Amino acid sequence: MIPIEYWLVFSSLLFCVGAYGVLTKRNAIVVLMCIEIMLNSANINLVMFSSYHNVLHGTADPSGQAFALFSIAIAAAEVAVGLAILLSVYRRYKTIEVDKINILRW
Amino acid sequence: MLEYAWLIPVFPFVAFILIAILPKRTLSWEDGAGYAIGGAAAALILSVLVIWEVMSGSTMVGDGPKFEWLVIGDISITFGIWIDQLTAVMLVVVSVVGTLVVIYSGAYMHGEGENRRRYYAEIMLFISVMYGLVISDNFLQMFIFWELVGLCSYLLIGFWYETPSAASAAKRAFIVTRVGDIMLMAGIIILFKYVGSLDFVTLFDQDTAAAVPTDMMVLATVLIFGGAIGKSAQFPLHEWLPDAMEGPTTVSALIHAATMVKAGVYLTARSYPLLIQAPESLLFVAVIGGVTALLAASVALVATDIKRVLAYSTISQLGYMTLALGAGGYLVLYADTGGGYSAAILHLMNHAFFKALLFLCAGSVIHAVGTNNMRLMGGLGKKMRITSITMLVGSLAIAGIPPFSGFWSKDEVLAAVYHAGEFDGIFFLLWFMGIATVFMTAFYMFRMWFMTFAGEPRSDYHAHESPKLMTFPLMILAALAAVSGFALFISDGFKYFIEGSIGGLLHEVHHESATDILGVIFGDPLTYVSLVLAAGGILLAYKMYCVPGFDRSVFARGISGRLQVALENRWYISKFYDDFALRVVYSISLVADAFDRYVIDGIVNGFAYLGGRSGNVIRMAQTGNVQRYAGLIVIGLCLLLIFMLYIVPWGGW
Repeated sequence: MIPIEYWLVFSSLLFCVGAYGVLTKRNAIVVLMCIEIMLNSANINLVMFSSYHNVLHGTADPSGQAFALFSIAIAAAEVAVGLAILLSVYRRYKTIEVDKINILRW
Repeated sequence: MLEYAWLIPVFPFVAFILIAILPKRTLSWEDGAGYAIGGAAAALILSVLVIWEVMSGSTMVGDGPKFEWLVIGDISITFGIWIDQLTAVMLVVVSVVGTLVVIYSGAYMHGEGENRRRYYAEIMLFISVMYGLVISDNFLQMFIFWELVGLCSYLLIGFWYETPSAASAAKRAFIVTRVGDIMLMAGIIILFKYVGSLDFVTLFDQDTAAAVPTDMMVLATVLIFGGAIGKSAQFPLHEWLPDAMEGPTTVSALIHAATMVKAGVYLTARSYPLLIQAPESLLFVAVIGGVTALLAASVALVATDIKRVLAYSTISQLGYMTLALGAGGYLVLYADTGGGYSAAILHLMNHAFFKALLFLCAGSVIHAVGTNNMRLMGGLGKKMRITSITMLVGSLAIAGIPPFSGFWSKDEVLAAVYHAGEFDGIFFLLWFMGIATVFMTAFYMFRMWFMTFAGEPRSDYHAHESPKLMTFPLMILAALAAVSGFALFISDGFKYFIEGSIGGLLHEVHHESATDILGVIFGDPLTYVSLVLAAGGILLAYKMYCVPGFDRSVFARGISGRLQVALENRWYISKFYDDFALRVVYSISLVADAFDRYVIDGIVNGFAYLGGRSGNVIRMAQTGNVQRYAGLIVIGLCLLLIFMLYIVPWGGW
């Protein structure tokens, strides 16, 4: 089996990639995609701990996988909502660059 | 029957509510006068029943129905009723004068239009709370009603509030009596601190009262009497009463002559079991009374406003009552007789009748002539026969001419004061002041009568007799003013009757037959002294104001001239208060105002400014850039992780 640390380092890196994208990219669609990456890094963690459950505790526990499925479903819904919001933002402002959309301030 | 006495104030109160809230159409006659008369008459009937019960010997002192009003820890404050002989006398006064004045108002206030509703509502509220005041069974309840009568007095003095002088007179009456009210409250608080109860039945028990330290008892009683000084317009807080004449004359008759100003005397009489514990306060009461009687009578000598003459006369007569109460306390203590007490209460009742009569007569005159100034009157006797005759009866009564009521009570007062002189020499001095007041009273009353009714008219007016609705109460009051002094002789005598309310203080009761009383009165040479002085006063007034050709200017020269100026300026007391208010109080107010404006408001405004400015700076953090927020969240999360993973284990938590 692949050692657990590899998985952890992998998902952390994936998370950092996503976070970096969220913080730096100006295109809102790319930001949304980066959020997906962050979510998936969490999913990898869930699946990984689920499959290691038998090794660590001697019993199988599928709840981690179930949660990963939940998470994927929710991510799909979230993307639908997020894209809808971006669509209306675009109609209103004719742009989807996140640093231009800053009316929610003092 | 007595346990239903609490219903007495309810009737006028219901009338007050009805007049205040009913639609105008349903008020019908005189904008609510019908309801007012109904309420007053219902209270009168109930009062008569209560008085009848008391006269046939039953009282309700401390064992009446109570209801709990307020519970604080172990102390419960109750409302209840207290009916004794003193209450009965007050009920007579309030019910009779109240009803007659309301009837009289039906005609007198006819020209007031829309304002009549306000007038009748306020007057019914006043009658209601005045009843409440006299049947209260503890000091707190009494104090509440005490303040309410003050409120009604304020409202009614300021009835014509569009007139600046009426508005300021109302404020003055309210503020000056408030000085007394504060003293009364302080006295009540002292009593409460030492006794732990405000019920009369506890306080008037001689053992509990003796538990209060002597100096505190003196202080408490003097402070309670301070309330009476304010309400009963005693020196030095008497100047509001003449100003209170700005109100309608009916109000002056009811509130500022017959009932509310008697509340102070009533309070002093009610607190007798406490006053007896502190002879120093009794002396204080007597001295204030004597000084007030003399001082006010002297100002009445030169007043030209018919209502002001009566107002000063009221103050002076209230001084008599206070004097008699002070002297009466000495008599109770040292001579074991309630002579002074009964004299004061009898004078209270008689005065209520004849002074209400005089005020209503003055109202009738003002109604006809349209001015208050007696210099513009004259010759009204022929045109206003009923008014002039009833006013003559009132004047004779107050001057102390037998057999009218004033004679009997005033004679009793002076006899009591003279008698008290045996125990303290100062009462002889007070007696001299009293006897000088007799002369002055006779003089100024007949000066007023002659200036108004005798001679020829001094200005152009078309006077006519007032309508029947006004002369009818006058005639009833005149009859009462003529005969109410004979209460002295009813059954066992007024003295025996009224001693019932201070029964615990006396060791033996005195039965006196009518012949005994007459023998004492007419066997005493001092009676003739006061009679001669009263007759002298009337004669002097006759010579000066009725017989033509008397040169009054001789009084305007020299010392008497200066005295006259001082009197016309009310001994400068009013001026002193005005100056005091303007200089001292106003400058203190200015300082307080500046402090409030710059220091208190400065601090508050400073904090507000600080908040505003710092908000301006801090809000710059909100850039609206979502990515910056997200960055901050990440940084915060990292810091939190570092804290949890490295700092916390390193610290050993």
